[in-house]
Amino acid sequence: MEDKGPLTTAEILQAANSEAYRGICDECVGGDSFVAAANQLVEMGLVTKQLRKGGYHWQRTGVSA
Amino acid sequence: MTDWKRIRGDFPVLSRLIRGKPIVYLDSACMALKPRQVIRAMNDYYELQSACGGRSLHTLGKEVSDAVHVARESMCRFINASDSRECIWTKNATESLNIVAHCVELPKGSKIVTTSLEHHSGSLPFVERARHDGLKLEVVKSRDDGTFDIEDWKRAIDSDTRLVSVVHSSNVTGTVAPLREIVEIAHDRNALVVSDDAQYAPHHPMDVRSSDVDFSAISIHKMCGPTGMGLLYGKLEHLESMKMFVTGGDTVSDVRFEDGEILPTYLGPPAKFEAGLQNYAGIIGSGAAVDYLTSVGMHNVEHREYALLRATLRQLKDIKGIRIIGPDDPDLRSGVVTFTVDEIRSAHDVALFLSEEHNIMCRSGWHCTGPYHYQVGIPPVYGTVRASFYLYNNMDDVRTFLHALCDLLESSME
Repeated sequence: MEDKGPLTTAEILQAANSEAYRGICDECVGGDSFVAAANQLVEMGLVTKQLRKGGYHWQRTGVSA
Repeated sequence: MTDWKRIRGDFPVLSRLIRGKPIVYLDSACMALKPRQVIRAMNDYYELQSACGGRSLHTLGKEVSDAVHVARESMCRFINASDSRECIWTKNATESLNIVAHCVELPKGSKIVTTSLEHHSGSLPFVERARHDGLKLEVVKSRDDGTFDIEDWKRAIDSDTRLVSVVHSSNVTGTVAPLREIVEIAHDRNALVVSDDAQYAPHHPMDVRSSDVDFSAISIHKMCGPTGMGLLYGKLEHLESMKMFVTGGDTVSDVRFEDGEILPTYLGPPAKFEAGLQNYAGIIGSGAAVDYLTSVGMHNVEHREYALLRATLRQLKDIKGIRIIGPDDPDLRSGVVTFTVDEIRSAHDVALFLSEEHNIMCRSGWHCTGPYHYQVGIPPVYGTVRASFYLYNNMDDVRTFLHALCDLLESSME
């Protein structure tokens, strides 16, 4: 997110399942744990999410789209 | 005539308000809500007895033993088993399936048959048994809509086949497998059949004698019962000849100590499969759950769900951008509607929106059916959305759900 700005859930899940992140995301195949965790970051105020074309777009707080 | 409003009132969770609004619970295929009657039965155990069953002679112990006996008898009637010893309490359908996969004698060179539509709990225990013992395993591929071609079963179940594991009602497509025909083919070839009834038993009248199935795995938490409770039905002759899954206290009639050796004499079913102290509150709650469903009538439950399903599918088909997984014909499925949204790849986004904006609780993901999702070209990571109905749902729930989907599509256009 820091590098690429707002990302959709699908984009993040695709990345999470790539070789680069497999080591830290071994429960990402089903996707639900990731989304639950991301939503917790929203509740903590670290990330924002907005429903737009393509689904939710997730972004670090304080970074403009 | 069934008083569905009164029945809905039996489920305390449905009187909750979240964010000031009532909830719409459409996740019963994962976990059914519990009626007061079940909660009360379990509370009564904790408040009035709280003792061991089957081992303590005192009054409280006897009351628990009696209640456990009554619960087993209720379950036996519910599935129409011929003998209550054929009903084994387990912690869930997964454990029931594992007992069958690991404890049935399978000779060298024999074959196990399963399907691409199975829940992981219906396939993986058999995959592992085949791997461990070097057995053959053949997978019958369902059609993409979750139905089966009976000719595929005739080809797959051959003279080497000794065990068949089939999901009776799919937790994704809701389709019901032709169990009687499969059992007939298997028995003709001297193979046993275990049906995964986790999604069937809560929604249809069960009759293990009529289907002639050898084993059935049931999830009691999906049928208004307590969490952590399941059932394994098995024909007595099979249960008697099977190996044990877990051994220990309450599985033996005697344990001698002779010449430095410990020599157990094991009991028959159900005791041989119920080692150690049991979940008495769960068993009593399970009995209360099947008594509750029996009092409503399983044919009534089935008809109610069909009506809700028909109304949902009829309107869902007309919403542009929704792809329904499984057959359009409601008569071919149980109370499950699974779908994807064209413009939103991740099913989790849909479930999150429905929950946060409309208090609709439904499930997203791969529903523990990786092989089927790969088969129909839906990456498990994006998954599907599943709305599942039960006896406490009503037409208002259907309307709220459909309205919320339209809202989602509109909101995601911007």
